[in-house]
Amino acid sequence: MKNRLNWKNIYQNPSFPSFLILIAIIILNASLQHNFFTYRTFKSNLLTFTPLILTSIAQGLVILVGCVDLSLGATVSLITVLMASLMGDSLLSIFIVVLLGSGLAILMSFVNGFLISYFGPPPLLTTYATSVLWFGIALFFMPTPGGYIPKSFSKMYRSDLFPNFPVVLLFLIGAFFILFFISRTRFYKHIYAVGGNEDAAYANGVNVFLTKIKVFLLSGVFIALASICVVAQTATGDARCGLSFSLNSVAASIIGGLSFSGGKGSIIGPIMGGLILGLLINVLYFANITSFYQEFMKGIIIIFSLAIGAIPKYLKTRSL
Amino acid sequence: MSFILEARNLKKSFDGVVALSDASFTLNQGEICGLVGANGSGKTTFARIISGLIKPDAGQLYLYGSQINLKSHLEAEKLAISMVHQNLSLVPEMTVWENINLGREIITPLGILKKEEALIRAEAAIQELKVNISLYDKVSQLAPSDQQLLEIVKALSRNPKILILDEPTASLGFKQVEILFEKLIQLKKDQVSVIFISHRIWEITRICDRLVAFRNGKTVGEVDFQQQPREERIIIPLITGKKENEDEKGIHEKRPYRNFDTRQVILEVDSLSKRDKLHNISFKIREGEVIGLGGLNGQGQEEILFILSGYLRKTSGKIKINNQEIIIKNPSQAIERGIFLVPGDRQKEGLFLNHNVFTNLVYPQVAQKKQKFILPLKELRQTVNTTIQKISLVPPDPRKLVSHLSGGNQQKVVIGKWLSLSPRILLLNDPTKGVDIETRKNLYKIIADLSNQGVSVLLYASDNEELIANCDRVLIVFEGQIVEEICGDRICEENLIASSLRVQ
Repeated sequence: MKNRLNWKNIYQNPSFPSFLILIAIIILNASLQHNFFTYRTFKSNLLTFTPLILTSIAQGLVILVGCVDLSLGATVSLITVLMASLMGDSLLSIFIVVLLGSGLAILMSFVNGFLISYFGPPPLLTTYATSVLWFGIALFFMPTPGGYIPKSFSKMYRSDLFPNFPVVLLFLIGAFFILFFISRTRFYKHIYAVGGNEDAAYANGVNVFLTKIKVFLLSGVFIALASICVVAQTATGDARCGLSFSLNSVAASIIGGLSFSGGKGSIIGPIMGGLILGLLINVLYFANITSFYQEFMKGIIIIFSLAIGAIPKYLKTRSL
Repeated sequence: MSFILEARNLKKSFDGVVALSDASFTLNQGEICGLVGANGSGKTTFARIISGLIKPDAGQLYLYGSQINLKSHLEAEKLAISMVHQNLSLVPEMTVWENINLGREIITPLGILKKEEALIRAEAAIQELKVNISLYDKVSQLAPSDQQLLEIVKALSRNPKILILDEPTASLGFKQVEILFEKLIQLKKDQVSVIFISHRIWEITRICDRLVAFRNGKTVGEVDFQQQPREERIIIPLITGKKENEDEKGIHEKRPYRNFDTRQVILEVDSLSKRDKLHNISFKIREGEVIGLGGLNGQGQEEILFILSGYLRKTSGKIKINNQEIIIKNPSQAIERGIFLVPGDRQKEGLFLNHNVFTNLVYPQVAQKKQKFILPLKELRQTVNTTIQKISLVPPDPRKLVSHLSGGNQQKVVIGKWLSLSPRILLLNDPTKGVDIETRKNLYKIIADLSNQGVSVLLYASDNEELIANCDRVLIVFEGQIVEEICGDRICEENLIASSLRVQ
């Protein structure tokens, strides 16, 4: 019984290319931005990246089980609308509304999971349909961005818990803790089993239906966390604010080495993918590329990252 | 004596296609009962019902004397019924130990997986069958035969009282089959009951105490080896439904010796190598010759076929066709030169299951470069019709969906699609894996016909009898090298086994 952890296993790991890209992009960013390694920059970066990282984790989990969630962005939007409509100044009201919003996010994710695993339509279409639905509801309540978020709430979010320890880091640490715990459970193995080969999972006595539902519930937790971050960051409710998360989180997951068909890759991948996409916008900004070309460059770099992500697979087929 | 398991009049159909129409079956405690039948006779469907994966439309199931109604696979597992699946139930991206423990992981009250215990359990399970694999390997990295063994290991590790083996030996080498049989005999002593499904009659006659035969979803007969002799001629008529004398000749008859020395060399392979897999492979095939690749499983036979058909790249060596050196970089280049591969896994690599026979048969033609922009449908239809006649497809309907054909007829389509392109060299990768006798005969006939038309054939078969029945020469591959060439009358079971094992 020997543990085979050799070099080959590392470079053939699906997350390995994204790790290299991450290092490269950090170096690039640091060389363009002279104050990259200061606390100020660190904190402002964290504030910008956290929602994307959290949604990427949410998406990554769903992709691991062999599904995809295109409604994730619309969920975030709807939650911000809900919170901005209901939130009052008192601490109690903030607390209750945050809980309510989180609950709704998890419930919406559950609806996706239930529709997919009970009726069995393609996840892509199901979540597209629900995303249109959520977006419609959000627009109905708030056709234009607005609502009210107490200053104290967003101030709290942007403040430091201790010196050199921003509050926003708590979200990430919380997320890591949940993932660390989950990754050691039986449930985590079942995610890979269902994503990898649903029939085989069933034939081994894994409850496929329940596993998918649980994954969507868990994904909902991360969507809820992301929504709280977004609403605290922007201090408004906006029916459109989350829409870009849907596909960006998918891109982050795939860049992070997950396989779109599921069951392959590590949940660390989407986190790195999210970081890469976040830093990418930084780099484009500091490289003085005009906003007109930014989207163009972003597209090119995402394609490039995806191509690099395919290298381990290529190496494997060559060495067959 | 009461039966441990009894099935009465099981019925099951899928989308209107009847898989089981009237299946009855009994199993005693501590016996190995064979289950035989042609492809599509309902064996696998039956096994899946017993193990709770699908529910029957009608019929009763009795376990330990009382009627049961299996609602899920989990329930069957609780009743100590375990199944070795034909289409493996392994998750390819998970490791060996994860797969062995899947679905019954041991956890702490907090829900955390106990990895140490899982590893110990997996290690113990692997030792049971003396399988030489690492617990940390991903299943997708294992050879097909190791995957099959792992599947068996997994089923055994659940300590079943009833074990169902659905063609467990189809991708195993004979050494591994021996180990499996030893284990089965040991299980029998421990009063475990085994249902053994196989197409290889000699395995049934060797290991089973009794056998039940299915034909077209019906139970058609039973042979008790305690009263009847263990002979093929009793069993084969049950499977085919034809009278004994028609099969008198037997299907594994040695083909007459033919001399090819005067014929033209079609394909010449010169010191072909592939890193870690093949070393200095050299051989020649003459026009119309049928050459077999023999030896233990996974010694590099498949790699030779894959390199010749362009799926793999060689590291060094030369390939010559008609004395001209050629380079094959991808399958389409191989096809251009008239080298065609008939894959082993026909459902995965050879067919578009959801398309009809016509489209399946014209794809190779349509995929060629020299094609008109608008397809000449009329001509294509004609060629397809001639092909269907040539391969004697049943039913001869080009509009039939391939997934609705029986396994044997699917196999005919896989070969048939190349015929219209007039092949020069046909590579066959274990074409009769999991194929019933009737279809085998047909396939052998197609091979013989092609060879008579001057097509050279390179056949890899895990079944020695198949090599004996078809080949003019057999090359024995061992650890990536050709170690021996057996030709003509010397091709027989003993010689093949001896050289495969490198016993002199």
